[in-house]
Amino acid sequence: MIVRDRFRGLFPKYFLVLFMAVAVPLAINGVVEAWFGYRDQRARVDQLLDAEASSAAAEIHNFIHDISTQLGWLVQLPWTDEVDERRRTDAQRLLRQAPAIVSLTLLDHNALERLHVSRVSLNRIESRTDRSADPALVGARATQVWFSDVSYNRGSEPYLTVAVVGNRPSSGAVIAEVNLKLIWDVISAIKVGETGLAFVLDRPGRLIAHPDLSLVLRGAEETTSRPFRAVRDAIGPGADFATSQAADGRTVAVSAAPVAGPDWTVVVEQPLSEAYAPIYAALRRTATLLAMGTIFAGLLAYALAHRMTVPIKLLEEGTERIGAGAFDHRISLQTGDEFQRLADSFNKMAGGLALAQQHQERIAKLKRFLAPQVADLVDRTGDDSVLDGRRTDVAVVFCDLRGFTAFSAGVAPEEVMGVLSAYYEVLGRAIAQYEATLISFSGDGLMVLVNAPVAVEQPALRAVDLAIEMQKRVQELIAGWRARGYQIGFGVGLAGGSAIVGRIGYEDRLDYTAIGTVVNLAARLCASAADREILLDVEIATNVGGQRPLHDIGNRQIKGFDEAIPVFGISFGAL
Amino acid sequence: MMAAAATSTTSSHAQKPSMPVIGYLCPESPELFASRLRAFHQGLREAGFVEGRDVTIDYQWAHGQYARLPALAGELIAHNVDLVVAPGGAPVALAAKAAGVTKTIVFEMGGDPVALGVVDSLSRPGGNITGVSSLSVDVSPKRLELMHELLPAATTLGVVANPTSPTAGSQLQRLRAAAETLGVKLLVLNASKEEEFEEVFAAVGRESANALVFCSDPYFAFRSRRLAELAIKYGVPAITQTRDFPMAGGLMSYGGDFVQSHRRAGIYAGRVLKGERPADLPVQLVTKVELVINLKTAKLLGRAFSQSVVSGADDVIE
Repeated sequence: MIVRDRFRGLFPKYFLVLFMAVAVPLAINGVVEAWFGYRDQRARVDQLLDAEASSAAAEIHNFIHDISTQLGWLVQLPWTDEVDERRRTDAQRLLRQAPAIVSLTLLDHNALERLHVSRVSLNRIESRTDRSADPALVGARATQVWFSDVSYNRGSEPYLTVAVVGNRPSSGAVIAEVNLKLIWDVISAIKVGETGLAFVLDRPGRLIAHPDLSLVLRGAEETTSRPFRAVRDAIGPGADFATSQAADGRTVAVSAAPVAGPDWTVVVEQPLSEAYAPIYAALRRTATLLAMGTIFAGLLAYALAHRMTVPIKLLEEGTERIGAGAFDHRISLQTGDEFQRLADSFNKMAGGLALAQQHQERIAKLKRFLAPQVADLVDRTGDDSVLDGRRTDVAVVFCDLRGFTAFSAGVAPEEVMGVLSAYYEVLGRAIAQYEATLISFSGDGLMVLVNAPVAVEQPALRAVDLAIEMQKRVQELIAGWRARGYQIGFGVGLAGGSAIVGRIGYEDRLDYTAIGTVVNLAARLCASAADREILLDVEIATNVGGQRPLHDIGNRQIKGFDEAIPVFGISFGAL
Repeated sequence: MMAAAATSTTSSHAQKPSMPVIGYLCPESPELFASRLRAFHQGLREAGFVEGRDVTIDYQWAHGQYARLPALAGELIAHNVDLVVAPGGAPVALAAKAAGVTKTIVFEMGGDPVALGVVDSLSRPGGNITGVSSLSVDVSPKRLELMHELLPAATTLGVVANPTSPTAGSQLQRLRAAAETLGVKLLVLNASKEEEFEEVFAAVGRESANALVFCSDPYFAFRSRRLAELAIKYGVPAITQTRDFPMAGGLMSYGGDFVQSHRRAGIYAGRVLKGERPADLPVQLVTKVELVINLKTAKLLGRAFSQSVVSGADDVIE
C-alpha cells in the first residue's frame, strides 16, 4: 500500500473522525475544567487576600492600639499640684517597654506640661508650660484618642503623635511621639503567600510601613510613594481583588483594609504569578493530559483507521485482481467481522467466476463443432457425457468446391481467402440453422454430422434439407464468382448409418468426430457429386421417403467400395 | 583568632576570585572589635552572605591608631575591593571617604552623618556612601542628665572629650547647652590616648567636679574595660556610651545599641553586594538607645539610682 494512497480515500476520514471523537471531548473537558479552576482560584485568591488584608490591618491596629492603651495607663489618676515622682517612674517604664515611643509628654487638667521624658533630648519636669492650644490636646479632648498626620523625623523616619486623655478631665492627657519605623517588626512578619507582602499608606498615600525599611526611610519622597499609591488606588469598591503593577514591576493581586484610628490603609499584594500558581499548575497538568490524550487519540485513530482501511484495501486489490481475470486469487482476511465475511463472499464469487470461465471455455470449444443451440444445451445440462464415444445412427454430410484448386493457383491469396470466408460464412449459417454438428473443414471441404452428439428428430430429412440449403446458398455465391470469371462449382454428398462418434484429440485440442463406413461413403458421394449436385445413399433416401422429391440415379461405382452402390439425387431447387 | 582569619583571607581570596570582596576598615584590633564583628557577620548572613562561602573579607586593622586609617583605606583601594565597610565611628567613615574610595562605603557610626558632611541627607544619602548611625553622639546630653539625676547636688560635672574626634566640638556644644538647662557647670577634660585616661580620673578629684560624663567616641568605647578599672580605682561615678562599661564594672552607660547598628551595617553591605545602589539606601538610625546601670558599682560608690532611672533601665547589673 502506498502511503500517498493512505492519505486520500477512507483513511483520513476514519482517522479524522476517530481522532475527533476522542480529542474533542477531551479538549472540551480540559477547557471547562480550566475555566472553573480559574474561577475557583480567583475566588480563593480573593478570599485569601481579603483575609490577609484584614489580619494585617488588625496587626497594625494592634500595634497602635497597644501604644494608646499603654498611654491610657498614664492618665488614670487625677493630678495634684505636687511633683509626681510616680508618674515619672511610670513614664520611664513605658519608654522601656514600648520601644516605638520616642518621647512622652504628660499634661495636667489645666493643660500644663508637667512631665516630658525623651530618649534623645533632655527631660523636662514640671515646666508647666501651657499646652492648651496644642492640636494634639484639642484633638484628644474631642475624640479621647487622637492621631496626628505622619511626619518625617529629619526627613526620614515616619513619626506619629498620639494623644490620649483620661476618662475624667482631672487625669489630664498624655502626648506621645511614636517612631513608626518600628512597625517594621509587624509588617515584615506578615507574609502573603510565599513572596507577597503588606505595606501601609497614610491618608495622603505616603508609605509608612513596608518590609523594605529603606523605602520607608526615604521619607515623604513622592517618587517612592507613587507606585504604592497607584497600587492602593487600583483597588476598586468591588468585591473582587484588583491587579496592579507593583513598585518592582511585577503584576500583583492586591487587596486593602483600613486601619481604624489613624486612618491608614493596609495593602496586601501577592504576585499574580504566585496567586495563580495553582491554576497554572492545573493548566499545565491539563495541557499535559490533553497532549497525551491527543497523542493517544491520534495513535488510536491511526490504528483503528488502519484496521478498517487495510481490509478494504485488500478487498479492493483482490477485486481488482479478480476483475483482471485472476480467478484463482483469494482474499485472505481473518478479522472475524463483516470484512472477513465480505472477503469470503468475494472468494466465493471468484470461485464461481473461475467455474463460469471454465464452463465458458468448454462451451467455446463445443461451439467450434456443435451448433450454438446444441452447445448451449450441453452447457445447460452441465454434462458433456453426450460427447463420450458411442455408436449411433448418424447422417453425414460432406461438401466441397469444384475447381477450387485450379482457381486458387491463378489468383491472389487475398482473393482466395475472400472467397473462402464468404463461402464458410454461408455454410456456417446453414449448419447452425439446422443444428448440425460441424466436424471438420479443410481447404474448401467440410464435414457435418447430424444426430450426434445430440439426437434430433428425423436426422435424414434434416440432413437433406441442410444439403439443399447449402447448395442453394453457395450457388448464389457461385453466381457472383462466375460473373467475376471464377470457374468454381459446389457439390454435396450425404450418407446415413451407424458410426462411432466421440471426442478425439488431446487436452487443448479436442475434436468431435465420427468414424465408420458411412463417413467414407458420404465423402465418396461428395467427391462424385458434380457442381449443383446433391448425392445421397440409400439409407438417407429410405428415411426421407416421400417427403422430398428424390430421384434415383441408379447404381454407381464408388471409389473404395467393391460393388456399385445405389445413389439418389435431389434437386436443390426442389424446396 | 581574628588575626588568623585576617591572614587567611588573602589566600582564600586568591583561590576564589569570583567571590565579591568586602574591605573591612577597622579602627581597632580584632580582640576589641570581636562583639561588633559578630553583629556585622550576623547582618551579612541575614542578607545571604557568609564569609568564605559567598564573600571574602579583606580586613585592615588600625589597632587604635586612628591616624593610620587613611593609609589602610588606601590599602583597600589598592586591593580593589568591591565594597568598603567603615564601622566603629565617624573617623573611619571620614578616612574612607577622604581616601577617595570609589566603590560603595557602608559606615557605622555614632555621630550624625549629615552634620559631619558624610551624606547629603538621611533619606537620600547621595554619592557612594550610606550606613547606620547609632545616635550615641546625639544622646550625650542625656548622659549628663542621668549623671545629674544621680548627683543632684553636684554643681560641677566633669566631661571627657576626645579632641581628635570629628564630633567633639558639636558634642561639647550640646553638653554646654544641656548643662545650662540643668543648672550645672562643666569641667571639660581632654583625652585622646589611653595614657591620658588616668590623668582624667585623677583630675576629677583635684577639681571640684566629682563625676565624669564621657562624650561619645569610639576610642573611649573600645577602652571601656580600662575606663571601668580607673573609675573603680578612683571611686568616680562615670557614664559612657557603651554597655561594655557597666558590664566591666563601670557605673552606667547610655547610648545606641551597637549590636543593632553593626548588624544593620552587615545587612546593608549584603544588599549593596546584591547590586542595590547606596543612593537608594537611606541612612538608618538605630531605634534602640539603651540605658545600662550597675547597681553593684553604685553601692560601692555609695550612690543610689532613683526609682525612675531603675525602671527606665534596659539592663540592670546587680
